[in-house]
Parts: sequence; C-alpha cells; structure tokens
Amino acid sequence: MAVGPRDPALPGGSETKIGDIVRHTADRRRPPACRANTIASANVEEGVSNAAPVIASHRLVKEFGRRRRLRALDAVDLEVGPGEVFGLLGANGAGKTTLVKILLGLSRPTSGDVRVRGRDPKDPRARRRVGYLPEGHRFPEYLTGAAALRLFGRLAGLPETALKRRIPELLELVGLTDRGGDRLGRYSKGMTQRLGLAGALLDEPEVLFLDEPTDGVDPVGRRHIRDILLATRERGATIFINSHLLSEVERTCTRVAILHQGRVVRQGTIDDLTRPGERFRIRLAPGTPMPESAASAAGARVASNNGHFEAEVADVAALNRLVDALRASGALIVEIAPLRAALEDVFIEVVAGEDRTAGVGHAAAAAGAEPGANGGGA
Amino acid sequence: MKTWAVIVDTWREALARYTLLGFAGVSLVFMLILTFALNLDIVDGSLAAGTLFGKALQMRGRTPAIETVVSTGEAVFAGLLYALGIFLAIFAVASQIPNLQRRGTADLYLARPIGRTHLLLARFIGAVTLVTANLVFLCGGVFVIISLKTRVWNIRFLTASFLILAAFLSFLGFTYLVGVLSSSTPLSIMLPYALYMLSLPLSAHDKIAAAMDSKFWANIIHGLYWIFPKSAEVGRDVTMLITGKGTPAWTPLLTTLAFGLACLIAAVAIFRRKDF
Repeated sequence: MAVGPRDPALPGGSETKIGDIVRHTADRRRPPACRANTIASANVEEGVSNAAPVIASHRLVKEFGRRRRLRALDAVDLEVGPGEVFGLLGANGAGKTTLVKILLGLSRPTSGDVRVRGRDPKDPRARRRVGYLPEGHRFPEYLTGAAALRLFGRLAGLPETALKRRIPELLELVGLTDRGGDRLGRYSKGMTQRLGLAGALLDEPEVLFLDEPTDGVDPVGRRHIRDILLATRERGATIFINSHLLSEVERTCTRVAILHQGRVVRQGTIDDLTRPGERFRIRLAPGTPMPESAASAAGARVASNNGHFEAEVADVAALNRLVDALRASGALIVEIAPLRAALEDVFIEVVAGEDRTAGVGHAAAAAGAEPGANGGGA
Repeated sequence: MKTWAVIVDTWREALARYTLLGFAGVSLVFMLILTFALNLDIVDGSLAAGTLFGKALQMRGRTPAIETVVSTGEAVFAGLLYALGIFLAIFAVASQIPNLQRRGTADLYLARPIGRTHLLLARFIGAVTLVTANLVFLCGGVFVIISLKTRVWNIRFLTASFLILAAFLSFLGFTYLVGVLSSSTPLSIMLPYALYMLSLPLSAHDKIAAAMDSKFWANIIHGLYWIFPKSAEVGRDVTMLITGKGTPAWTPLLTTLAFGLACLIAAVAIFRRKDF
C-alpha cells in the first residue's frame, strides 16, 4: 500500500504508515482505485461540483493603509483544481501570506472575488475540512500537544470519538507520540511546526493550506513533512503551499505561480516552467580529457566534475558539432542530457525580468514626466 | 461543542496564567481575615462585645441587635467586595482578547469553521463563568463565614452579589471592546479601571453640571453620566439591598447593563470586520 512516488531512501514501512494514518478511515477498507474518489464523493454530497476549481480568485486586490495605500495584491487571478498540489512562490513581502489569509477569511479583500470550494471564505462553512498551517503560528503555550489538538479539533466540529482516534494517530504521524503530554512552551520550533501540521490535518482536510511548512524544520523533518504531504495528495486533497524554499516546492508541487509585488507574473506546471530549452550537457567517461579544439569549435562551456568532463552547449547545432568533434577525437561519451532549468533559476529570472521591466517603465515614466522630454511639453 | 471548547479553553488559560488562582487566592485571604480577625460575642440576640484584629470594638454601652450588626457589617463588606470583585475580575480576564488576537494565534482559531461572533461570544461566556465562579466563592464564602459566626443568615447579601455580577458584566463588555480595538492587555486593564474611577464622581453629575459656566460642557457631563456605567449608584444599591433599607432602582442597573451590551456589540462588530 505505497503512497506517492516511491522514494528509495525511505523504508517502505514508513511510507505505508504515513499513508495509513493520513488516509480517511472509511477509505482503508476500499480498493486503491476508490481512494481518490473519497473526497470526490464527499464533495458531491455537499453539493460542490468537482469540475469547479477548489480555490479561485478573480481580480483580487488587497490594499493596506488609509492615507498611503499599499497594494499588497494586485488583480490576482488564480485557480487551483481538485487534487492539485499548488505552490505559491514569492520573495518576502510578495503578498503570499496575504493571499492565503484572504482565502481563509482571515482578511478581507479590497476588491475582487475569492472562492474556496465554491463558497465565500467569510462563510465558516467554507472552512469545513480545510486545514491550515500558518506561518509563525503560536499555539497557546499553556496547552499540551494533545490538548491543543483536542481544542482545535473541537473547534473544527469533530466529535469526541473521532478526536480520541485522530489525536494519537496524528501525534504518531508527526513523531510526537512521546511528547503529546508536554506543554507547548517546552517544544522546539521544529516540534511546534510538526504539531501545527498535525493540527492542519485534524479533520482530514479536502483543502490544505500550508504557509512555509518546513520553516524551522531540520532536513530529516522536511523529508518527513514532504512524505506526509504526498500521502495527503494521494488521498485526493488539494494542497496549497506558500514557500520561498524553491527546492521543496519543486519536489512537492504539480503547479506553481510566482507572485511578485502582489501580481502573479508566471504560473504553470513545474514541467512547463523548467522545460528544457536548447541547452544540453555532454559527459565524458572518467579519465577522458575534453579536447579543447572540439569544445571551442562548438562554443561549449567545459567543466570538470568528479573526474568527469562536462560541456554545456547553446543549441542543437552546437551539440551536433561537439559530438562530431568528440567522436572524431576518440573521446568516450557517456551521457548527453538536455539541461532542465531549476525552479530557482526560473524564479530568479522571472523576478529579475519583472524588476527590469518595472525599472524601464519607471524610467520611461520619469522621462515622460519631464517637460519637453518627448515634445509633449511644448 | 465548539462553545464548550472555547469555554474550557478560557478556563485553561486562566488557570495556566495563574489569574484564576490569584483571584481565588486574594478571595481566600479576604475570607481568612474575616474568619480569624473578627470575633463577636452575642448574648440574647444582641452584640455584647467583639474584637477586630484583637482590638475590642467600641460598644459605648450599646448592645445593638445582631441582625443590624450583621446587615451593616455585610453592607460594608459588600462595598469592599463590589470594588475588589470588579477589579480582580477585570484583571483576571483582560488578557483574553489580546491573547486571542496575537499574530499566529488568531490564525489558528479563526481558520476553523467557527464564526467570529460565535468565537468572541463563547469567550465572553467563558469569562462570565470564570468570574461568576470566583464571585460565588468570594461572596458565598463571606456570607457563610459571617452567617456561621453570627447565626444570622441574611439572604439579601447573596442577592446583592447579582448586582456586583451585573456591574462586572458591564465592565467586561468594555474590556472586550478595548481588547478588540487595541490588542493590548495593559490597556484592557487600565481603561476599565479608569472608567470605573471616572464613573464614580459622575453620580454627582447634577452638581458638577450646575457648577459649570458652559452649557455645552454641562451637557457633556450629563451625557457621560447616562452613557457610562452607574458604578456609584449600583454600589449604593448593593448596600441598600443588604441592609434592607430599600429596593434597588432599575434605571442605574439597566443603563449600566446597556453600556456593557453596547460595548460588547461594538466589540463583536469590529472583531467580525478585522483583518488578521
């Protein structure tokens, strides 16, 4: 009963455990093919159409301040479909948390429209079976881990019988079984974060919002959180992740949007955004030197990596020239691979491009504002 | 279930922050003083002699009826309890709303499928149950101690406790409003105390207004009197009720409650619209 893509580094038993706990209880007795339909059938019962996006914002604007208006979100259009793992990327202050807070009804939009499972987030019913792990959350320190889960489970409307089952399960899931009776004041940041994730998963959410979920968590904990998210996705839940840890997003999300200064400047699947272009990498067998003449003929960039020589070329024509030259020189080629851009590179490129455009725009506006700059002042 | 969860949370918070224990501790000290410091010698239903902190009470040859002594004594205690009870109660619950609105905490509560009005009112109910329990402990304890010492069971003393609770409810509404607006615990303590102090002299609003040259300011004083809680009048009614010298007037009590209710409604309205 494996869940999510199998990670060879993880023991199968660990995956099974996470999958078992995350999965809806009623789901456990169903054949695998039926599992993803659990949430779908629940939606039908609640009158929520599966065709409709689970999360949608249309021309969403949020401004702060009365005298000096600060526009935190600027006409944001987003749609997240059922079962998607959606990543919202952005630098600090880009508006990511503001957007999530509006989607959860914690903050009101200045204008525009938002819907979560077809409902206005201000309606408490829109938050049924919606989990949320806020950034920098502060559980009441006077509670123990188990008591905090009980409180928030009750606020979510879970019956006591369900809480008795879910709380030990979730504490085990996040590795806090032994610390469930400790006061939260004694928890480390990583433990608090894991408890926050358990709190977000309390009512087996159909939609899960995570704001910087791996913040303050060590690498082992990050992998554990990622496994939990993958298991949650397997259950059919829609996951919305805010993060500036791009490698985490790249590993977890199916689709991302880049938010910059309150605007969505790029969105698409991870594959689309990081799609290989015309750049390729050629790797030679260990000990095989890269002939300089071949490399320079193709305009390749050459680097040595762990005894291998690697060359990067700009396009297919250069690739073919380099292969011909290498074969002619008797070099042993072991790998030719298209170069896929890392999400981080895409992000930086997009953001830098936006900043350049804005800078040009500002400069043009400033120039245009000067009397006589374009003849308009005459 | 959700309301119950918030009420239990309110109690847990008060316990963890020692406000509940502090309230109960001060009440206990008050009762212990009353138990051990006051000794009365009753002969044939009259007070023959008595000591307070070991010092003999000056009887000046009189032997007043014990009922009179008890009702007068209880009226004095009730006056103290009125001020002390309100002060302690405000102190005990003032941090609730600022703590709820803390960044990172508000998100956890408000992201659940519970309406904001529901959440705030459930907290209010939690605070009322907390203070009621303490008032029952304090006033009930004082009542039992005095009654056991004197064998006079003046039920009017317990009835007067409801007036103290009513006055507290009014100040609690104001405390919630300040908490929602400011998210500050110190302000949520200071401003209700200031309001209490300010409302006391306003009972003489007629005399204050008459002494003013400006009709505008005289009207302001009258207006404040009618808007603010009638702390002095309700306190007077408490003692009057205990001594049996009259029945409380409804107007001060109702306008005091109306002030608290208006504050609570405003607090809910602002809380509902607030961005977190």
